[in-house]
Amino acid sequence: MKPLIVTHHLSRWYGNVLGLSDVSLEIGPGITGLLGPNGAGKSTLLKLITGQIRPSLGQVFIDGQPVKGRAELFFRLGYCPEQDAFFESLTGWQFLYWLLRLHHFSEKKAAERTEEMLNLVELGADGHRPIRSYSRGMRQRLKLAQALAHQPEILILDEPLNGLDPLGKRKMIRLIRDFGREGHLVIVSSHILPEIEALTKQIILIHQGKVFAQGEIHEIRDLIERHPHIVSIKTPNSRRLAALLIEKPYVVKAYFGEKETNLFVETRDRDKFFEFLLEKVVNGEIEVEEITSPDDNLQAVFDYLVGKP
Amino acid sequence: MKQNETLTSRKKSQLSFFFKGVKIIFQFSFFQGKKSKKSRLFALLSFAPIAIALFLRIHQVLSPERSFDGLYFFNNAVLLFIFQFLILVLTLFYGTSVCTEDLEAGTWTYLVTRPIPRPAIVGGKYLASLLLVLLIAGAGLIISFIILNLEKLDDLSLYSYLFKDLGVLSLALMAYTSFFTFLGAAVRRSIFFGLIFSFGWENVIQYFPGSTQRLAIIHYIKSIIPLPSSSRFSFLTFQLEPTKPVYAVFILLGITILFLFLAGVIFVFKEPRAED
Repeated sequence: MKPLIVTHHLSRWYGNVLGLSDVSLEIGPGITGLLGPNGAGKSTLLKLITGQIRPSLGQVFIDGQPVKGRAELFFRLGYCPEQDAFFESLTGWQFLYWLLRLHHFSEKKAAERTEEMLNLVELGADGHRPIRSYSRGMRQRLKLAQALAHQPEILILDEPLNGLDPLGKRKMIRLIRDFGREGHLVIVSSHILPEIEALTKQIILIHQGKVFAQGEIHEIRDLIERHPHIVSIKTPNSRRLAALLIEKPYVVKAYFGEKETNLFVETRDRDKFFEFLLEKVVNGEIEVEEITSPDDNLQAVFDYLVGKP
Repeated sequence: MKQNETLTSRKKSQLSFFFKGVKIIFQFSFFQGKKSKKSRLFALLSFAPIAIALFLRIHQVLSPERSFDGLYFFNNAVLLFIFQFLILVLTLFYGTSVCTEDLEAGTWTYLVTRPIPRPAIVGGKYLASLLLVLLIAGAGLIISFIILNLEKLDDLSLYSYLFKDLGVLSLALMAYTSFFTFLGAAVRRSIFFGLIFSFGWENVIQYFPGSTQRLAIIHYIKSIIPLPSSSRFSFLTFQLEPTKPVYAVFILLGITILFLFLAGVIFVFKEPRAED
């Protein structure tokens, strides 16, 4: 399929700091995940695509047209920023209404569409409250609503799942997937692999301003499988759990943190590991207070890709 | 021939696209501006000329033996305060925020990712700021004029002064807001430099003899303020070697257009700072 977004040798410096280096991409319809750790250059790439900042070198084209100075392209493009910034004095309803008016919607159509969008992101009942009183999840949903409201063909979402609770994430993922299924082009950035995995199979791996890999997620998964995941578990039964886990072939290592209740496990098969853990918790054999999996070991994959030991 | 027609129609549609953008941004910015804390605060400041007028009235009531010329006091106290202080403060804070407040608040993204040319954003926000400062300063001017001329309100010739003063006020606000819009777009710490310009440059240069005073915007404003009597001392004409009113009007309009154009050009290349 013909790519809608094309970047040619795109580079961007912030003074002496390199934000993006020689990025050439072709992105077609469907959902594409932009995956990379914090500071990798994801937001810089998305801001360049949306013409908010200018490239130091290279060019961006949307549907064959250069982005620079073409305000009319935004009829076709929706953008959800990472930054938690709003016109705080406005209500959710006013925020959406005015942003639709800025999309040249008539007063009547903007009002109708605002109601529709507020209901779609489940803010219908809170629409007339000031945005400053919204929770983080509500603000994230409102940001997504403003990006979707004018029915763009291209949707660019910068870390849209940040700060959402699991239920909020599920709802947001469903919304984005529904939009992608309609044949639109969606780019979603995240630094958390499972979030991207839940959305798409097509990913672009970015790190230190460079694109390291582009393609199907299973290729990246394979890379990750070769590198153990570190999972931290806070449990009062840490010794018992360690004893159970160490027998498993997919567990490489289990060790304690500074406190004995903190158990760190390195595993080569995340799915099997969690399946086992869940079984033990459900059966009441183990009590778990907290599980964290920092960055899902993305750094290890990047280290592998750049040839670090 | 056909190519020319196509070019003309394309230019027309680009212009209409631009002005539509200006209109929507103006409506949005004015809607936000009239609700803002800043407007409420500055609306309070617009009561200062009214307070001056009331003070003079009270003084007149307490000393009825002294003659009271409402128009004279209006020119030497109220207009002096408005033109030498109030409009400078108002336009400084409203003008510099045209290109910077959304950038600093992070809401800039929502404006520049809409189908609106960037110069139209500056134009729309400038017009909204201009209307707000005009309402704030105009209210103070009209009410204080009425308070000081209560006994002559049936004299229709008096209103020609009021309308001319409102016209001069509008021109002054247009020129200063445009200049400060440019300053906000061009330099960081624009409030600081704006204060130096307002209360350093403008307040000093205007009293220089010869053509040096023509380097201050206030010179052209003072050149067109209607003053009822030349026989009595007026602070507003002190050291003034006026420019012809027609030239002064054109220069003020020129300043407005020039600095607004420059602000629009700078805003096209504006980006959030890297640390943002």
